Amino acid sequence: MADVDDGAAAPVSEPLDLVRLCLDEVVFVKLRGDRELKGRLHAYDSHCNLVLGDVEETVYVVEEDEDEDGDETVKTIHKKSEMLFVRGDSVVLISPQGQS
Amino acid sequence: MSFFGFDSTLPRDRGHNTRAPGFSQAADPFAGPRPEDDDDALDFEDTYDGLGDQLDETDDVFNDDTFGDDAGPVTKKPVGKDFDFFGQTAKVSDAINEEQLRFSRQAPSSRGPPTTSTFPQPLPKPARTGYERYKEPDYVPDMQVDANLWGVAPKQPAQAPAFGSPMNPGIPSGGRKMMSLEEVEASMRAQAKKPAQPQHPVQQQQSAPQQYSQTPQQQYQDYPPQQQQQQFSQPQQLPFQSSGPPREEARPAHVGHPHQPVQIMQRSQPTPNQPIAPTAPSQPTQILQNPNRYSAEQHRSAPAVQHPVQHPGHQSRPSGSRHIITHPQQLANLSDEERAAFLMEDAKRAKRNHKIFLLSKDNGLMTPQDKNFITRIQLQQLVTATGNPNEHGSDPSLSEDFYYQVHNQIRGGPRQHPGQPLSNFAQTYLFQTGGRHGGLRRQARGGDNHMQRMEQQVQRAVEAAKNKPKNKQLVIEGSLGKISFSNAKTPKPLLNIKRADSAADTHRPSKAHQVGVSGSDRKTVLTDIENVYSTLMQLEDHERLMPPPLENDDINPELAGFHIDWREKEEKLNRKLWRDLKVHEPIGATTTHPFIAFLSFSKGKKCIPRVFRHITQEQRTTILTMIVIHLDQLDVVRQGLLQPGEVQLNSATRENIELFSLAVMHTLFGYLNEAGLDIVTGLLGLILNINIDVIARTRIGVSMLTMLLSRAELIKQAGSNEREWDQWVGIYNAFFDALEPTLPNIFPGTVNTGEDVYVWQFLAAIGIGASPEQQQRLVMAVKDRVMETVAHAKTLPTAMSSQRLANVNLFMRSIGLDVELLA
Repeated sequence: MADVDDGAAAPVSEPLDLVRLCLDEVVFVKLRGDRELKGRLHAYDSHCNLVLGDVEETVYVVEEDEDEDGDETVKTIHKKSEMLFVRGDSVVLISPQGQS
Repeated sequence: MSFFGFDSTLPRDRGHNTRAPGFSQAADPFAGPRPEDDDDALDFEDTYDGLGDQLDETDDVFNDDTFGDDAGPVTKKPVGKDFDFFGQTAKVSDAINEEQLRFSRQAPSSRGPPTTSTFPQPLPKPARTGYERYKEPDYVPDMQVDANLWGVAPKQPAQAPAFGSPMNPGIPSGGRKMMSLEEVEASMRAQAKKPAQPQHPVQQQQSAPQQYSQTPQQQYQDYPPQQQQQQFSQPQQLPFQSSGPPREEARPAHVGHPHQPVQIMQRSQPTPNQPIAPTAPSQPTQILQNPNRYSAEQHRSAPAVQHPVQHPGHQSRPSGSRHIITHPQQLANLSDEERAAFLMEDAKRAKRNHKIFLLSKDNGLMTPQDKNFITRIQLQQLVTATGNPNEHGSDPSLSEDFYYQVHNQIRGGPRQHPGQPLSNFAQTYLFQTGGRHGGLRRQARGGDNHMQRMEQQVQRAVEAAKNKPKNKQLVIEGSLGKISFSNAKTPKPLLNIKRADSAADTHRPSKAHQVGVSGSDRKTVLTDIENVYSTLMQLEDHERLMPPPLENDDINPELAGFHIDWREKEEKLNRKLWRDLKVHEPIGATTTHPFIAFLSFSKGKKCIPRVFRHITQEQRTTILTMIVIHLDQLDVVRQGLLQPGEVQLNSATRENIELFSLAVMHTLFGYLNEAGLDIVTGLLGLILNINIDVIARTRIGVSMLTMLLSRAELIKQAGSNEREWDQWVGIYNAFFDALEPTLPNIFPGTVNTGEDVYVWQFLAAIGIGASPEQQQRLVMAVKDRVMETVAHAKTLPTAMSSQRLANVNLFMRSIGLDVELLA
């Protein structure tokens, strides 16, 4: 979906134009620090600063089990936000979510 | 040794004072004004003041070498005008050096008695020699160093020629050395018109004193010596003498002024008529002047005291002052006051000389030719850098030249026609360069020549720039790539990335069509939506810029122009928007029409109200038609169907439907309210062709139908022409027939959900327009639902109950009934 279509590439002349296509759509955003967001993209800019609505945030936390040394378990923390501003320097990936 | 063909017999041989050798002998070739008889020698004696006797004669042996004892045959070869002094000098200079060494070893003391030149020598009279000021006895020449004078004599930076012979207008050698080659050539050309040319510029080139003994060989090559009296003539010199260029013929030897033997020595700028010359020696201070100088400079008629090795010190010591005292006793002779003044002056002079020396250290590193050459190169670069003056971009580049602008303003030369800028431009620089070389005392001949050459050069460069291909790229036949030209103003682009907005737009339909054929995938649709939004924003921005409305009586042409422009732009944007909407894509070419796919996105729906503000009524009709035609394909219709067992649509679909009714339906309703019956009839007829069953079971479809029916009812009430109404009734009947089987199923879900308001509205709309027979059928179809709802309402709280009953009543009243009757 995000591949550069040769036919309709006219308005897509730079990578962020692909992000533009996701405006008002639900996108999946991966962030640094093992965080993921899923929400409706309301706005973005050239720094990949994002404004997301109805966001569901997932934080992955690795915890070492104290009992059995060496074993690690991944805990996930879910948060929900009505509106979220994401600073662009933490954005790793933006992906359209399709017909979600 | 006379190369002008006159008798070069020395005066000494004719009774001249033999104790006064030197220049008088050596300069014989130039002793022009001398008739055949020996009386002239006496004349010389008369004028000779004997000062030469006081001079050091130890090195007189070189005089012959210096001034040419090897007089050639008496053939009077005319001298050509075209000299190549510099080049010839360079050619022979090596040989000369060799010969000097050999000569000094061979016969250091031998001095051949030169024969007195009996040939009259013309004395050229330049209009202005530059030495006129020295006629004034009190004149103290200023010490300014003119760098131009050192063009040819770099080794003697501080030796200002102006001071070399304050009394002598014509200096045999010293003064000549100071002249640049151009000056020499200029003067020579000036004199070329005069029949006689006694000057030897070659000699003037000789700046080092040790070359004095060698110069004659060079000089004579162009001037066939009249008498071969050179005792030390080496064999290899002879070819030089006989190898004079044939163009020598052009310059005939000439009879000059016989009565001024003192002028013989003049080589540079002879001013024979100046009376000062003889009186110069009488001034005692002149004797003291610059003792380190060549004797020739001190006194023109003095016997040549040649210093074979030039004193290094005197080079930086111009003899500017008349109070140069070299010997202690001379100093002692002065009064205390004078002595103090002298010492002070001396100190001052030393200081100044040092300064001058420092400043002029690098003077003359380049010859004038070098400078001109570099100037030409720079000019060429300037011309090529600015490119073709007739090209559009040349003006900015010229205007960037601040100095040229200022200069132009000072000179007050406005540019009038396109061809002028460059010539002005070039002339500005040419003028500067020419001015730099054309010194004050230069008779602009040489300068003119250089200027002409440079102007020609510039013109050639301009021509070349004009002929240069206009396009930025050159495709050479057979080559695989292109060659891009670049200059300072338009650098060669390394990356060629175009944001071809307009180009993409023009190609858009065909492209989009191809894409559409391959399937209007999600990304394409998203792209279309973004295009629409971009255009919408442009349109909205353009709306802001709408000029103030035109007054009827006030005709403002400017404002009218604005309006025209504005409308043009708006039309353009409108067309663009219309293209982006893709309403006119062929129907059926794709599984989903692009516009319908467009509407399947929430942002696509949202933009419809905005789009409707900017499009014409006709375009709105088209959009409505398109939506109606594809009503069963709309996502809100397709997904709006409740599947069996489903009680409720999922939230996303409900949201979508809500959005569609708010954004699209509302907009369409607003438009339809102004539409005529014919349009309503046509739309309903279109609906007949599609799956009414599906439409009637979805909220959006039902809303659409309600909208059409209620509009028709409104038009009917407002009154309409019969024919249209008949048409409408016909369509309506067909519609009713098609709808009737679906009527029992149009209610979504069960009675409990209560989401059936729109259905009751729809039924009401049908009932109003229906005939009594149709109404009966209608009641029959929905009777069960009505009874269910009424029964259900009784179980509900009062508020909700009354709400439900009110909904039902909408329908009941439309057919002339009331829920109360049922109760």
